[in-house]
Amino acid sequence: MRPIIGITSYVLPATWGVWADLPSALVPHDYAEAVRLGGGRAVLLPPDDLDADVLERLDGLVLAGGPDLEPSLYGQETGRYTVTHPERDTAELLLLRAALDRDMPVLAVCRGMQLLTVAAGGALHQHLPDVLGHEKHRPGPGVYGSQSAGFAPGSRIATLMGDDTTINCFHHQGVADPGSLTVTGWAEDGLPEAVEDTRRRFVLGVQWHPEVSRDRRLFGALVAAATEGDP
Amino acid sequence: MRRPLIGLTAYAEQVQYGRNDLVAGMLPMTYVKAVHAVGGRAVLITPDDPGTDVIESLDGIVFCGGGDIDPVNWGAPPHPATEVDKVRDTSELMLMRAALEAGLPMLGVCRGMQLMAVATGGSLHQHLPDLVNHERHRAATGTDPLAAGASDYGRHDVVVEDGSLAYRLFGRSLTVNSFHHQAVADPGEFLPVGWCPDDRVVEIVEHPGQAFALGVQWHPERTSDLRSFAALVEAAVRGRAVAAA
Repeated sequence: MRPIIGITSYVLPATWGVWADLPSALVPHDYAEAVRLGGGRAVLLPPDDLDADVLERLDGLVLAGGPDLEPSLYGQETGRYTVTHPERDTAELLLLRAALDRDMPVLAVCRGMQLLTVAAGGALHQHLPDVLGHEKHRPGPGVYGSQSAGFAPGSRIATLMGDDTTINCFHHQGVADPGSLTVTGWAEDGLPEAVEDTRRRFVLGVQWHPEVSRDRRLFGALVAAATEGDP
Repeated sequence: MRRPLIGLTAYAEQVQYGRNDLVAGMLPMTYVKAVHAVGGRAVLITPDDPGTDVIESLDGIVFCGGGDIDPVNWGAPPHPATEVDKVRDTSELMLMRAALEAGLPMLGVCRGMQLMAVATGGSLHQHLPDLVNHERHRAATGTDPLAAGASDYGRHDVVVEDGSLAYRLFGRSLTVNSFHHQAVADPGEFLPVGWCPDDRVVEIVEHPGQAFALGVQWHPERTSDLRSFAALVEAAVRGRAVAAA
C-alpha cells in the first residue's frame, strides 16, 4: 500500500458544468498529480477546525498554496493588499501543529511555507513589492516568475534540487522572520525561498510552486519520508 | 476518540473560482458538512489515480453525485442526453468493487447509487423523461432543487419496502429532493427497496450481503435529513470495532 498523503484545500464558490458558485472544497489538481507521480496516494483535506484526528490515518502532509494568512497570527495589523481566509488558517494551524507534534513529514508550498513560518513563531512581509521594489515574485495574474534560487550547501533542499535551481514563484508575501526554522534557500534578491526544521524528520517549506511542474524531487522525497515512517 | 474517516469520491474537473480557471480536485461542501455533522471526518478521493489502496485507510466511503455513467459499462449505446465522465467511471467502479470486496460501509448518492447497480452487473435508464413522460425528477438546469421557485420540480415522496434496512432508517415513507435524469433499471446485486410512488422509479437500493451498503437517488447532503449519513458513520464505527476485535 502506498503512503497516504493529505493535501489541504480551499473552500470557495466554484463554477463548473451546470453549477454556478457552489461552495466547494477544492485544490488545483497539480498537487494530487504530483503526489501520485511521487509514489503516494493523495486525499484532499477539507478544512476542519474540530480536531486533527485525520492525521492518524495519514503518512504525510502537503500544505497547499492559497490566500494570505491573518496578520494577527504574527502580531501585525492587516495591510491594504492582504486578503485572508481565517477559517482556513484556524483549521490548518491545528493540523500543522498536530503533524509537527507527531513528527509527520510535511511539505509546505507557498502559503504553506508561510503557515509553517508562523507556526514556528516567525513573521511575514505582507506585500513584497513594498519591501523589495519589484514584482518578480508575482509578475502578473496567472503568471509565474521564473527565477534561479541559491541553496545552503548541505541542506535538504540543496541536495534535492541538485543542479537545476530554477523555481516558479507566484506570491506577494514572503518570510520576514523564520522563527525557529532554518532558511536554506534564497532568491537573487535575498528573499527566503526555502525553510527547513532540521530538528524534525522531514519538514520542508518552499515559497515557489513545485506542484505545477510535478517536481518529483520534492514530492518523491516527501513520499519517501512518509514511507520510512510506516510502522 | 478518532472520528471514523469517510472517503468522498470527488471530481477532477475544469472549474472556475475567483480569477482562476483550472483543473481542480473538488466537491461541493454540502457532502463534507454532512459527514462532519454526523460525527465523521471527510477526505476527498480524486479520480485521477485509479488504484484502490486508499480503501485500507478508510472506515467508510460515500460515492457522490456527478455526471452520467458511460452506458458502455452495461453494453448499451449512449442516449443523446447522456454526458459521461469516463475518468470518474473507471476510478469509482474499481473503488466500489474493492470496497464491496472489503465489506467497507458505503453510501451511494444519486450517481453513486447508479454506480452500485452498474458495478454489480446492473443497468440504468439513460433518460428518465423518455420513460415516465415527466420532468419531476430533476430541477431546471443549474438550479438548486431545494431553492424557492423550484418547488414544481425535484420533490416527491418515496415509499419504502417493509423489513428492509432502509425501512429501519426512514420508516414507511419520506419526501425527498430530486436532481437526476437517469435511474436504475436493473440493480445488479443490490435490491431495490424504495420507489417513487407516482412512477415506480427506484429511489433506494441496498446490498443484502453487506453490513451497510445503501444507495439513495436523492441528495440528502443538501437537506437537514442526514439519517443516511448518520447510518453510514454508525456502520463505520461498528466496522472498526469488528476489525479491532
